[in-house]
Amino acid sequence: MDLFETLKRLSELPAPSGSEEAAARAACALMAPLVDRVSIDRLGNAVGERDCGKPGAPRLLLDAHLDEIGFVVTGVEEGYLRFQTIGGVDARVLPGREMTLLTDPPLFGVVAALPPHLQTAEEMEKTIPLDQLRIDIGMDQERAAAAVPVGTRAVYRAECFRLGEDQVCGKALDDRACVTALLRTLELLKDVELDVDLTVLCSTFEETGGAGAATGAFAARPDLCVAVDVTHGRTPDGPKSGTFPLGSGPAVGVGPNMTRWVSRKLEETARREGIPVSLEVMPGDSGTNAWVLQISREGVATGLLSLPLKYMHTPVEVVQLSDLEGLARLLAAFIADLGKGGAL
Amino acid sequence: MELFETLKLLTEAHGVSGREAGVRAVLLERVRGLCDEHTVDVMGDLICHRKGPGPRVMLSAPMDTAGVVISHIQPDGYLRFAAVGGLAARQLAGRTVRLANGMTGLIAVTPDKAGEDFTVSNLYLDVGAGGRGEAEHLVALGDTAAFHVPAEERWGRVLASGLSSRAPCAALLTAMEELSDSPNDLYFVFTAQSRTGLRGVKTAAYAVDPDYAVVVDATAADDVPEADHRGSCVLGAGAAVKVMDGAVICHPRAIALLDGLAARRGIPAQREVYKAGRSDAGAVYTTRVGVLTGGVSVPVRHLNNPAELVQLSDLRACADLIKAFAESELENV
Amino acid sequence: MTELVKTLCMLDGVSGFEDRVRDFIREQAEPFADSVREDAMGSLIVFKRGARRTGDRLLLAAHMDEVGLIVTEVTDEGYLRFRFVGGVDRRVAIGKPVLVGPEHIPGVIGMKAVHLVKAAERSSVPRVDELYIDIGAPSGEAARARVPLGSYAVFSGGCVEFGSGLLKAKALDDRIGCAVLLTLLKEPLPLDCTFAFTVQEEVGTRGAFGAAFSVTPQVALVLEGTTAADCATVPAHKRVCAPGKGPVIPFMDGGTVYDRGLYETLTGLCRTHGIPWQTKEYVSGGTDARTIQRTKAGVRAAGISAAVRYLHSPSSVADVGDLEPMLRLTRLFLNAMAGELEEDGYGAV
Repeated sequence: MDLFETLKRLSELPAPSGSEEAAARAACALMAPLVDRVSIDRLGNAVGERDCGKPGAPRLLLDAHLDEIGFVVTGVEEGYLRFQTIGGVDARVLPGREMTLLTDPPLFGVVAALPPHLQTAEEMEKTIPLDQLRIDIGMDQERAAAAVPVGTRAVYRAECFRLGEDQVCGKALDDRACVTALLRTLELLKDVELDVDLTVLCSTFEETGGAGAATGAFAARPDLCVAVDVTHGRTPDGPKSGTFPLGSGPAVGVGPNMTRWVSRKLEETARREGIPVSLEVMPGDSGTNAWVLQISREGVATGLLSLPLKYMHTPVEVVQLSDLEGLARLLAAFIADLGKGGAL
Repeated sequence: MELFETLKLLTEAHGVSGREAGVRAVLLERVRGLCDEHTVDVMGDLICHRKGPGPRVMLSAPMDTAGVVISHIQPDGYLRFAAVGGLAARQLAGRTVRLANGMTGLIAVTPDKAGEDFTVSNLYLDVGAGGRGEAEHLVALGDTAAFHVPAEERWGRVLASGLSSRAPCAALLTAMEELSDSPNDLYFVFTAQSRTGLRGVKTAAYAVDPDYAVVVDATAADDVPEADHRGSCVLGAGAAVKVMDGAVICHPRAIALLDGLAARRGIPAQREVYKAGRSDAGAVYTTRVGVLTGGVSVPVRHLNNPAELVQLSDLRACADLIKAFAESELENV
Repeated sequence: MTELVKTLCMLDGVSGFEDRVRDFIREQAEPFADSVREDAMGSLIVFKRGARRTGDRLLLAAHMDEVGLIVTEVTDEGYLRFRFVGGVDRRVAIGKPVLVGPEHIPGVIGMKAVHLVKAAERSSVPRVDELYIDIGAPSGEAARARVPLGSYAVFSGGCVEFGSGLLKAKALDDRIGCAVLLTLLKEPLPLDCTFAFTVQEEVGTRGAFGAAFSVTPQVALVLEGTTAADCATVPAHKRVCAPGKGPVIPFMDGGTVYDRGLYETLTGLCRTHGIPWQTKEYVSGGTDARTIQRTKAGVRAAGISAAVRYLHSPSSVADVGDLEPMLRLTRLFLNAMAGELEEDGYGAV
């Protein structure tokens, strides 16, 4: 599998929370050759299942989310679109931003921004609040209102491209980079005999609270979950504490949200396999699907692997392919070693 | 019953989150004979089942209103309280509220804080009691009180307290009353403790285990002076088909089904995007393996104010759309 | 029971690291229990048969975990950066001694001396990322060798009985509840009881989700320690409750409106049997009840709490005299439930 091509294909699809169908279909198509069954469930999760064929085998659920942050149109005003956000959008990056409106066919739009000539120096020091921003689709009121009903979704319009030697830039790398890593994990395990049944949950609604993971886990009844998501990559303007340089490998989550033996086993596996990892210590909510997965049904042993990513929730998110490969190799080694002797 | 009469009946009833017995009793009286069986669950939800062979469909509306709960009785007879359901101190100060026993009191700010930023703990409720003994005669800790402005109809619009939950209840109740044949296994649920964080609906949805759900609630009408346009709905434009609120993004198929029914049956409808509100749908769609969830909302002006305002034609459209959904042939999911 | 409370309070049990408390309770409970299991989250679920075979219908719950610290980073100079686990007021942590990890490495939460603080800074509280634990390590390397990332730390300091029957200790929230349950466990019971000693209450009532889901009771009683604010500087309507005035029976808190019928059962029992009681006269906080109550199709939930001053600080304070009435009321509640809940002939063993 070509990691860059797969990531490019997945990340360029539009899939704001609640409208993930395009990404779910692509994920199913990519998973199909690597698992026994694929399906899309009620809440739109793309689910791949691989059976190990051993009776009573424990079930491991791997989760990465399909959805990305986005926008929803709330009205039309003189042809310009009013909108609200879906998930945690950074309003600072919006002025002058290109958008794709998910109409059929999709429409091009740009977020209106006044030129500097018309603004005072003081005004330009301030972030423009969301409710003062509009999307320009180049239409008058009548045409715009007919073309873009209230409730139409939009996403950033951005291409996925290589940055430097081994890094990739694009929108929605949070969390399609991790979906790609799960596909790579499945590929690495293709001819490996396993002692666990696998559910690969490419989940929906993570950016709005984790509804896809909650319902997907309820349906799958796993004995163990590993959530795979992104964490903050280190940048010159960011804190040193709690950020991870790109290229330093995946981060293993540690804290109450993660079951201790799972964290330990992930760390030990990395050491054994010579894969660089960091530890990411979190005192409570990890801010990932691990939070909802852990309390599914009777409670589930839970681990978290995170991929360092720069500029989270912007259209220019950046990840490093070696981290992605390291994460997949670590996860594959962890899984190959699971359930030997019947118990986790 | 006429929609206004139903609204009047429901808005007169007491039912602050957690203490919904009053409004539940009114609803119980009305649903008898409209369903095969009804139960009240642990949280206080009223669950009415009308059996059918088709997919399980849950139609729900919240019955509780925001208000205050008495938490302390002072030796001098003044009452201290906590806000329930998200009312802010400034919304309460200087207002009258009515307790479940019909007694009215005035909420005042302690003089040392009047004019400054104050919180709910700087407020007290004066019911006229001269001492703890007199107060305890009529009030117990845990009793609740709510705004009470009696319903008035004018120009086809209704002003009253508590419309943001009672108007959705009226729409659901009306749909239930006017329903003809339905192929579906229908559950009509009037939920408790919605305003304290979608609590009641959670257990009801788990028990019902529906395939489809339509949550009826209120949405802010955006047609007030200097509107901030954070909502998308206006009074008079009909039933609001929910796309999204602060707790849910509706299933694309549920949105399409409701849009289609409105268009085919000529029911006036608009689309709702309202992130500042959190409807019960947020707890329904994540139930068990997931529920195909949509929403129908009544546009309401002045949400959470002592009086709120709805338009009867919108309420009519909501009732018609809920009824249309209940009667429609739904695919198995 | 005071001695049992003290023993339990001295055990480490920061959320996610409840091992010591769990081991102790398991050891104490096993000889008296019909079944004991630890679930995936780490909660200990103990079932004990009683005179009436009511199976899973009654759940008694108390949480084992306490607030504390978790090490997030070791600096090159050998200091430990940390975050609080659960809600801790930074002001009560600064300059306090702690014990790091299961080896109890002594440490102190350091801060620069008042002389070095600018006048403007004195009135503000340092942010948590400005605080650190000093374990006296000579270097980052030395500290890393002793303290792996993700290690927990607890507040140190023993139990002190003082004043008119007061007890100071850390973790009274909720080792008092654990002590009540453990005491009951050793007695003959009027009905079948499932005892859930839950984990991770302080980080979002997390253990209660799985425990309640697996047991699926009809009625749950949550034994807790709750905020008392009966200090001279606090106005009467914000004092919540007070140690020494008997068990606290809440009608409502920030997470739960408690079952009205059970609230009346509990307050009625106090009246009939002359047990002093109080309710929470300020709506705040939350307990495992918020999660248990909304499990599956719903569970009738009640609470009995001990009034504890300075909750979530290294030195929380309870009244020893409240323990017996709390236990007595819980016993009476079990008797009442034995008369109310149905038998089913089979149970949860």
